Amino acid sequence: MISLRLKVDPLPIDEPLVVRLQGPGSPARSDHDAVLAEIAPDRREYDLNGFSFGVYGISSEVIDGDVLMMLPGETTAHRLIRAGSAHNTLLVTEQCDQLCVMCSQPPKKYHTDLFEQFTLAASLAPQGAMIGVSGGEPLLHKERLFSMLEDVNAQRPDIGFHILTNAQHFSRADLERLQRLDYERVLWGVPLYSSMPETHDQLVGKPGAFASLEQGLSILMRAGASLELRTVVMQQNWQDLPALADYVSTRLSFLTVWAIMQLERIGYARMNWKETFRDTSGDFEQIARAVDIATARGLKAALYNFPLCSVPPAYQDFAPSTISDWKRKYLDFCLNCRAKETCGGFFQWYSQAEGFAFLGPL
Amino acid sequence: MRSRLFMIPSLLVAGFLPSKSDAMPIGELVSKKDPGTSVLERLRLKHIFTLAGHRSHSSHRSHSSHSSHRSSSGGGYTYRRSAPVYSPPSKVYTTPSTVYTAPAGSFATQPTVSATPTYPVTSDPATAAPLKTLPGNTAKFKRIVMQVQTALTAYGYYEGLIDGQVGPACKKALVAMQTDYNLKVTGTITPDVLNTFGIVAN
Ligand code: SF4
Repeated sequence: MISLRLKVDPLPIDEPLVVRLQGPGSPARSDHDAVLAEIAPDRREYDLNGFSFGVYGISSEVIDGDVLMMLPGETTAHRLIRAGSAHNTLLVTEQCDQLCVMCSQPPKKYHTDLFEQFTLAASLAPQGAMIGVSGGEPLLHKERLFSMLEDVNAQRPDIGFHILTNAQHFSRADLERLQRLDYERVLWGVPLYSSMPETHDQLVGKPGAFASLEQGLSILMRAGASLELRTVVMQQNWQDLPALADYVSTRLSFLTVWAIMQLERIGYARMNWKETFRDTSGDFEQIARAVDIATARGLKAALYNFPLCSVPPAYQDFAPSTISDWKRKYLDFCLNCRAKETCGGFFQWYSQAEGFAFLGPL
Repeated sequence: MRSRLFMIPSLLVAGFLPSKSDAMPIGELVSKKDPGTSVLERLRLKHIFTLAGHRSHSSHRSHSSHSSHRSSSGGGYTYRRSAPVYSPPSKVYTTPSTVYTAPAGSFATQPTVSATPTYPVTSDPATAAPLKTLPGNTAKFKRIVMQVQTALTAYGYYEGLIDGQVGPACKKALVAMQTDYNLKVTGTITPDVLNTFGIVAN
């Protein structure tokens, strides 16, 4: 498994420090670059503006170009950007105004504001990186979020962001700022679970969520923003999927992609697994109908987080490998599967005992 | 490029807007001078995000073997202000936090929508947590370097400027000093160097 934290010798810092690790022979390109000074079997020594620090436990992984965040008093650094990965995500806040039945990262009360650090980290990312922004609900700190997007864009127009948000905190006043963002570099990932307001509101634990979401989506549309609509398949919305497809393709046809997603067995989703998880390996009917409706109307539908063998052959092309590298696993029977290269496998925390009934190597 | 005036009404007719959103004055799009995007322009371009998506929220669970500091509930970057090993910081870093009331509710029995979340609609810049600026560390590093340079000068290793920069002359002095004192020779400021000079890095 890939480490998102690395043990380090702490530096004498009072505030969070963001540093990029240079590879062998590479000079510092900024004040935020640490030059590699020594490689030992389990330790690498770096020189940051004349100060030494060691990074431990990276025998097999490449960390050249990675961006770390060190926190005062901590001996582990957060690996904010892994240069070799397409799955970097900044968790900008743990506050949320919803309480979703399938939340994988349950909200917390307090916000630690590290936008400044994230802004710097993003501006040190490799060329053309697409960086995830997640929460919590990032838009609860809308001002800070916009500033980050704008600041990074000013310095590094090549960097893109994929922002997971409930889209409920946009107002008309944001239109201009939204329009100025590069729609080819900023993708808004917004969840919608049902076309029935009550069902959606119930699933996200917030009365009125659907109505605010409609407003937010209309603002994204007017701004010409790029939208990835995200629908997690659950028992609770299983019957609604075709109707949702209808809603999506008539009202939201500006979207870039409609992602129909399988559940991630962590956080609340784990607690509520039995009532929530829908085994789509035996009965795929509603998804098939939803995908058909959307596709027939010219929308791009995609299936995220589905093991390929759980999907009927006719729909496997809709299922890209989507589970992030560091939290992906395969099961014993995957060993002989010819689809292993294209299949995203399972979440680390997936449990076969409570999972899909009909799987097997392709 | 086709005429916007022609296309916009057709978009409206096609039902591109959520039905309940307040009606959009057509002029709003038509008169937009901003060279930025409009839905019309964007629709005509091929999408580059095909595979950008699919990140989930559980991006920062504590799963690594080095997560002893953050035992239980995963996620996030909040941290303890425990005494660092390298040197105790002079002042405790106060995590800027905005008090926020998370929605209450019994999770296991969700959906229970009786919860009445009180939440900030947005974070107003005026009330947002004060930002810790980054130069703080830079200033501190500089001060430590100056102390080291002063000590190196006093011990006869360094004749350069006390400028707070670890330049070539300073590195050379550090190498000589580390060699003499049987420290690991790095040419950089290490905890050993600070200890030897009795510099407390705060
Ligand atoms: S057997 Fe494993 S690798 Fe093959 S499709 Fe199924 S989950 Fe994917």
